[in-house]
Amino acid sequence: MSKPPSYLKDEGNRRFQAGDYVMAEALYSQALIVDPHNTALYTNRAMARLKLGQWDSAIADCAECLQRTPDSMKAHYSLSQAHLALHAYDDALRHALEAHRLCVKAGDKSLGTITTHVLKCKKERWDEMEKRRVRETGALEGEVLELLARERDAVMKEAEEEMGEAGRAEVEEEWRVKMEAVREVFERARPKAEKRRQVPDWAIDDISFCVMVDPVITKTGKSYERASIAEHLRRQPSDPLTREPLYPTELRPNLDLKQACEEFLEENGWAADW
Amino acid sequence: MSPAQFAAKRLGKELQKISNSLPPGIELVSAENFEEWLLDIKVLDNNPLYQNETYRLKFRFGTSYPIEPPEVVFVKLADRPIPIHPHVYSNGIICLDLLGQQGWSPVQNVESVCMSLQSMLTGNSKNERPPGDEDFVRGNRLRPKDIEFFYHDNDV
Repeated sequence: MSKPPSYLKDEGNRRFQAGDYVMAEALYSQALIVDPHNTALYTNRAMARLKLGQWDSAIADCAECLQRTPDSMKAHYSLSQAHLALHAYDDALRHALEAHRLCVKAGDKSLGTITTHVLKCKKERWDEMEKRRVRETGALEGEVLELLARERDAVMKEAEEEMGEAGRAEVEEEWRVKMEAVREVFERARPKAEKRRQVPDWAIDDISFCVMVDPVITKTGKSYERASIAEHLRRQPSDPLTREPLYPTELRPNLDLKQACEEFLEENGWAADW
Repeated sequence: MSPAQFAAKRLGKELQKISNSLPPGIELVSAENFEEWLLDIKVLDNNPLYQNETYRLKFRFGTSYPIEPPEVVFVKLADRPIPIHPHVYSNGIICLDLLGQQGWSPVQNVESVCMSLQSMLTGNSKNERPPGDEDFVRGNRLRPKDIEFFYHDNDV
């Protein structure tokens, strides 16, 4: 005689809370045998599997859930975490943004957590691109310098044959300058990585001090991160600057600023965890 | 992200900023953790009440900072007196609407609070403590944030 799935799910949740993810995963699995269409069981098992580092099976659970309820915020969020762990940065960001959108729509309290996760996805995605870029330009620089060195050696040999030691030295100096110039050009092309990094004030939310992901504008014309201002308004429905009454329904998305912040982060991913 | 992490992150950024530069008359003394920071402030003009003195401020942050205000008091040391002001009790407790549940705003920060206190002192000409100071100092067992101050004269 098997236990009812609701009992298995509750017990699984208890084990999850207690940090016993192996047992939680097993209990959700048992429940799914009896109740294979329960989407909450899939998202819960996905969370347990994330904790266990079983990324692929967590992704499979999220897919099962999304097939039945495409608007599951939890499934998109878990999916994003799994993709991030697997270094699938574009997928991770896409699902993080979808989770964020659904979270805003539902007025869910996890907006802060999800906003932080979106920033994390952007940061790791940028880190990866930056690493690749450094590797690629580094390789190109080496190749160009090697070609130049080969050419120099040939010309030097020729000069020595024609004009002796003095000719050789003259050519060598000429090429040293040339190669130095090439190195300098590559150096100048290396982006701001070495330069002093600064985040412009317009991109920063004055409450969390993070770069904004989803800025919303108030009646006074000041913009804040949606998650931060929502947290403040839950405690006190007033404008942080003027203290005039302010209600969540009066907030409007600031689309231009959102785009500007996105573009800024595209080029300055390091700022995501500034 | 839990509230505590949120607070730590924001305080980390504030610290980064104020370690680099602070307005004149404000100095960071210590910030070993994200619970308690010490700062020194000086009044810059020549208000005779506060000339040549330095005052020590203690900030205590809860896990809900900056949604909730920090607790800010003056601390008495051998070379750090409690400034005389009609809104500052002799035990260092400050009665300023900015630091109360109603007056606080999450866009305020450590630097802006220090500046507000600086200007609160600068603008004062009364050489007196709040009414009932002695009784309050003797009887008070509450934390500053739990005291219901009556902000009757915010222009002081």
